[in-house]
Amino acid sequence: MTDHLTHDLMNALVDGELTSAQLADANLHLASCPSCTSYALHQSLLKSATAKAGQRYQPPPDLKERLARLTAREDSQLQARVSSPSQGSSPRRTWGYGSLGWAAAAVLLVASASMILIQRAAQRNETATVERAALVTEVFDQHVATLAGNLTPQVVSTDRHTVKPWFQGKIPFSFNLPQSLPSDTTLEGANLAYLRNQPVAELLFSIGKHRVSVFLRQKSGSAEGNEWANEQSGFHVREFSTNDLEIVAVSDVDPARLAELLTAIKTAQTGEPQQSK
Amino acid sequence: MPWKQKARDSGSQTSAFEGLALPLLPSLYNLAFWLTRNATDAEDLVQETFLKALRGFASFEPGSNFKAWIFRILRNTYLTSRAGLAVNRTISLEDELSEAGESGPAQYPEAAIDRHTPELNLLQIADRDALHAALETLPPPLLEVILLCDVEEMKYREIAATLEIPIGTVMSRIARARAALRATIETQRAPLGEFRA
Repeated sequence: MTDHLTHDLMNALVDGELTSAQLADANLHLASCPSCTSYALHQSLLKSATAKAGQRYQPPPDLKERLARLTAREDSQLQARVSSPSQGSSPRRTWGYGSLGWAAAAVLLVASASMILIQRAAQRNETATVERAALVTEVFDQHVATLAGNLTPQVVSTDRHTVKPWFQGKIPFSFNLPQSLPSDTTLEGANLAYLRNQPVAELLFSIGKHRVSVFLRQKSGSAEGNEWANEQSGFHVREFSTNDLEIVAVSDVDPARLAELLTAIKTAQTGEPQQSK
Repeated sequence: MPWKQKARDSGSQTSAFEGLALPLLPSLYNLAFWLTRNATDAEDLVQETFLKALRGFASFEPGSNFKAWIFRILRNTYLTSRAGLAVNRTISLEDELSEAGESGPAQYPEAAIDRHTPELNLLQIADRDALHAALETLPPPLLEVILLCDVEEMKYREIAATLEIPIGTVMSRIARARAALRATIETQRAPLGEFRA
């Protein structure tokens, strides 16, 4: 081999990524090329020095304990969620008791079942509230980040036939954009964003001079199609779901005008003639 | 009873998660700090990563690469933070353009390779402060790839899985990161060389 080793080969050499055949060729070349040998040594030193210099920040001593407590708390919540005792195995045994015993057992059963139902409903509500608050915070953060510094969207277009195809291969679902938007409402572009560690489509609209971020994500599980509204720091957050999608919007525009846009988006998902291709 | 079994499973899952995740805490925190450049944000990022990972642990396939999996969660969590979004968007275009120019076999003009490695340059590499300063100048896409490669000792395919990019991009980013580190160190060295001359 007379050609010098390329950068990629040199890096793969010091990173231990060469195949045995590539390694043999590289060694053959290094045996007869002082400049490549010197360069390989240089790269190797750089790698080991980077390994030492990069290991710079140590977690605070109590972080491990705090994380262990956090996971324990999360675990107890998870356990509480799955603690839904199946009923129906014991009632038949009570038939042989006297009427008083039967009545007492029935009362106890009803009381305990009610308690369990109330407890489960409270846990569900609490979990939903926490999850919703986390979602509102994430959505709000991303919207503010979009507004901050007037950053250009990743895809800049007012054409739904440009924006929708841009997401092909980037998100594991598809969606429709409305054929016509409410008055004074314009599609500005879109970003690939992440919510709860899942890729989502962030559509950017303007209504007058107000910006709107609409996040579309794949529906998780069999979530019900409930709608809810929230306010955060003067911004309105709205969520609704369709058969396949969960849609969250955030803006400081008048809620009625935001609702018009969301209605158009919701209608577009139902497959009516106005849907985009 | 099935619900008790489920609760037991949940408990054992959590302890399995802790067994895998807690030993990685120093590594996760180190990367979080490099990305956020801030102790408070780094702690928040690690905590959020742990919670997300625990909630999604049921979907983790036993036997697959847990380290790559949890680092991916940390990185995606960072990308959704305000700082991460701003940085990512600023860098990505420049990065995509550069990488587009490197498509195909990664051949570098040999003239661009400085094969002379002065002794002074080698000494400079050994200077940890100089290297810290050089690392701090790297843009996040190059910084994260070099930290995963050199500090975490991940293989290219693990890095590709963590960052969700092709292996070719991993290789080109590593090459660019090391070239940038060398260039920065060389610049730091220049005034000293001039003084000695």
